[in-house]
Amino acid sequence: MKERMKKLCWILLFTLVVVNGFAVQRFPKPEFETAYLQPQTHQPPPRAELLAVTDVVVLFLALAVTTWLVLKRRSRMGVFFMSLASLAYFGFYRQGCVCSIGAIQNVTLALFDHSFFIPLTVIAFFILPLIFTLFFGRTFCAGVCPFGALQDLVAFRPVKLGSRLNAVLGMIPYVYLGLAVLYAATGTDFIICRYDPFVGIFRFGASFGMFIFTGTLLLSGIFIARPYCRFLCPYGVLLNRTSRFSRKHLTITPAACIQCRLCENSCPYDAIDIPVTGKNPMDKQRRMRNLIFIILLVPVLVGIGGWTGARLHETLAGVNPKVRLASLVMHPESYAGMAEPFEITAFRSAGKPVAQLYAEASSVLGQFYTGGWILGGFLGLVFGLVIAGRMLARYNPDYVPNKGNCFSCGRCVDYCPVKATTNPPS
Amino acid sequence: MRKLEPTPRNIRLLRNTATVSGIFAMVLCVLILINFLQVKRADPLNTPALKMLVERLKSSPGDKQLQQEVRELDLVARKAFFTSQWQVRTGGYLLFFSLLLVIICLKSIEMMKPVIPEPPGKEDDFWNERMLNRKWVAYAGITLIVLSLVAAWLTHNELGNNLQAAASGGAISEEPATGAASPSGSSAVPADSTRADTTAKSDTAAASNPVDGFPTLKEIRANSASFRGFGGNGIDFHTNLPISWDGKSGKNILWKTEVPLPGYNSPIVWNDQVFLSGASDAKREVYSFDANSGKLKWRFTVDKIPGSPAASPKVNSETGQAAPTMATDGRRVYAIFANGDMVSLDMEGKKIWAKNLGLPVNHYGHSSSLIMYHDMVIIQYDQRNAPCVMALAGKSGEVVWKTARNVKISWASPILVNTGKRTELILVAEPSMKGYDPASGKELWSIDCIGGEVGPSAAFVGGIAFSVNEYSKLAAVELGENPRLLWEGTEYLSDIPSPLATEKYLFLLTSYGTAVCYDAKSGEKQWEKDFGNPTYASPMLADGKIYQMDKTGIMHIFKPDKVYASIAEPQLGEGSVCTPAFGDGRIYIRGNRNLYCVGR
Repeated sequence: MKERMKKLCWILLFTLVVVNGFAVQRFPKPEFETAYLQPQTHQPPPRAELLAVTDVVVLFLALAVTTWLVLKRRSRMGVFFMSLASLAYFGFYRQGCVCSIGAIQNVTLALFDHSFFIPLTVIAFFILPLIFTLFFGRTFCAGVCPFGALQDLVAFRPVKLGSRLNAVLGMIPYVYLGLAVLYAATGTDFIICRYDPFVGIFRFGASFGMFIFTGTLLLSGIFIARPYCRFLCPYGVLLNRTSRFSRKHLTITPAACIQCRLCENSCPYDAIDIPVTGKNPMDKQRRMRNLIFIILLVPVLVGIGGWTGARLHETLAGVNPKVRLASLVMHPESYAGMAEPFEITAFRSAGKPVAQLYAEASSVLGQFYTGGWILGGFLGLVFGLVIAGRMLARYNPDYVPNKGNCFSCGRCVDYCPVKATTNPPS
Repeated sequence: MRKLEPTPRNIRLLRNTATVSGIFAMVLCVLILINFLQVKRADPLNTPALKMLVERLKSSPGDKQLQQEVRELDLVARKAFFTSQWQVRTGGYLLFFSLLLVIICLKSIEMMKPVIPEPPGKEDDFWNERMLNRKWVAYAGITLIVLSLVAAWLTHNELGNNLQAAASGGAISEEPATGAASPSGSSAVPADSTRADTTAKSDTAAASNPVDGFPTLKEIRANSASFRGFGGNGIDFHTNLPISWDGKSGKNILWKTEVPLPGYNSPIVWNDQVFLSGASDAKREVYSFDANSGKLKWRFTVDKIPGSPAASPKVNSETGQAAPTMATDGRRVYAIFANGDMVSLDMEGKKIWAKNLGLPVNHYGHSSSLIMYHDMVIIQYDQRNAPCVMALAGKSGEVVWKTARNVKISWASPILVNTGKRTELILVAEPSMKGYDPASGKELWSIDCIGGEVGPSAAFVGGIAFSVNEYSKLAAVELGENPRLLWEGTEYLSDIPSPLATEKYLFLLTSYGTAVCYDAKSGEKQWEKDFGNPTYASPMLADGKIYQMDKTGIMHIFKPDKVYASIAEPQLGEGSVCTPAFGDGRIYIRGNRNLYCVGR
């Protein structure tokens, strides 16, 4: 009963955090004439170049220090305090922007639209964590990413989700990444930023819907550690895939594993691979047949995915402002009985020919058609490869962190009774 | 700094701090929530008291005391809002820091406690688990595909094809640049670039021939090709139109030319030509005037048409023998007369084809104007014997389709609209308003909403079509597969001028000269204005203004707005019953005797 009450209290506490989001300006200026002069609106000066460089330097230093803490000091406490510092700087001071996760979109748009200027700072934020991950694993997630730090703070009662649920939910980031790239490439929207759940906390203000989302995410984060990082983060997909090639990665034990199994449940992210010593009980012929079938199935899945994505292109394009506007203009009955959408009012006052709008919207729809094929094909490929990958397993006698999924937080290190006398095994 | 020891006392202290902090945060949450709900529910700037004061101020804008009251109430409302906002924000900060304290306490407890590994559980069957993983991922993939396809199916509305067709000059109408008219797709019609298969008899080759085909949307918009402009809906797209002229002094009258024979048809304009028809009991003629000089370029006498009755029908003097307005597709011009003679001429005045449609049995005289759809000319032939609507191929005069109509005689003209889904031809005559597919003539819908001897044509905006007739009613009909009556009124009715629908309002002119504005969606009357003179011409929306000619020759120019606001009332110097046509910076007005070109 007491435990239940406690949980209930926590749930209430975090739910009610969202009310902050309603503190927004609502009133128009007074309509009557007075002698009062409205103060002139001043554009805030762009972030000074020096400060932008400082951000990159801080990012680099944070990555370097975290990597050192993870690999050399093997200090969970150090990583924890490093993540707090990152949360303070990149989260509350920098207010979550630029972040490496959102930089995916800037890079994508710059690749597809050459008129889009991408600052070097953004490129650095995109590239640096990937480079560090390539060599040292996901130390960025451990101590630099403010999103991860915030979720880590509330992971009080993590539960194991099981490998099946992890596998299924782990597919969501691929979908999110695909959508984010599609929307950025078509110049539609930066959905990662628009649906960034934590920026509202960093800035002390967000829409009601986003605060509900954030509250839900943090509440679930008490029991499901780092839900955003594991089951949503599109940058995590890139880090996951890059980390698999990392030469130096955190190890649970600093020396030889003694198979004590004490670390087995230590990872709140279910990112420890258990030893694989036994052979697949399935007979070799059948195994090979299944594997060949799956491999042959991959192109089919790519085709099915692409076809499905193409069918969905109009739905996906509905988010695009031009397509949405053209659709509203073409179907005025869609807002019959309601106030005229502000887009229509703005469009009419701009005096742009409707035919031009239709032509542009039609062109965007064409992009989405192609993009739908690519997105669907990509997801078909991912599903195919993941299924195929689940048919294979390397011989592995020890408990080791899963290089792709491990956030290098260092929790498991404290569970290992083996103390370092030499350098950790590579 | 002394390290906090993990003693039971310290842990208890931290736990109690976390509890107190948590309770404080909860109380704060509740308070903020209540505050938020209060602010959200209250709309201080739209309170009835403030609204009432503002309304009173509008009627007496010079009332200083009232102004002061409004300001004071406004200030109180703003202060209340900002205080609430401050409370929410400050509460938010306190909440944040109290929650931070909870987290710090709980984290400290977590860190002070030694790591106690859980005893290892039962080992999973690795390979079995892998197989189940594969299945779950496969099921997830299948679910994703199914959901995607369902979403695609539910949301698919041929948007891509429609946009492509519209962008290439096709099916979707455009609104005037003035911004005062309805959203696109609701007011006028255009030539669809894709022909329906049902028009099998038509000259399909013509559609692909740039000369013999039909004009583009842009061309139609740049001209005044038929009665009441684009689609016959009373909306024109020309700009820079004059608002001041005087027929007597010649101010802003670019030219004035006498029209040889009388007629109540309105001018139509294509490039540098203005077309009119005129007729007496003995003669029927078509005229082309030079739009720049007013000089009569050519005239064509319509005679020797096989099947034409020997004598002209008896008609009412207010209808005459040449009431229907002509139509053009830029390749040919078309004219019809009270005796059923129909003629097609090329732009140089040479006959392409001519035929008699059969003497219309019509006690006032046939007056329904022509309208073009692609390369077809559409005729509403609501006469006593076998009323019908038909489409003739512009190139040959061959009947492309003909649809019988179960209606009484009418004098209204067809309009073409785009409902967002398709182009429809809308006709009114007792007892109903009906929609037709202009490509095939197929009746799409019908609703009984009108009676009497119907003269005004329909109007359309945003999915709502309007019909009106004297001694009947004004009806607003929401279109769809099953059209329904949205609202109706009987206070002001018209028997000759057609109504004009803009995005928000419906403007109606009675033939005794009262202008009325209704909310198009609700039917609520916004204003009425008595112009004092009888009015037969229909209103036109052009360049963001409504142009309404009255029978004495005064053009009432006013804003298409919720409140009547006159812009100007220039005089032609002679009476007029015709609806004006527009060109760039020019207005063409047919007076009782002369054709005028007004411009700056």
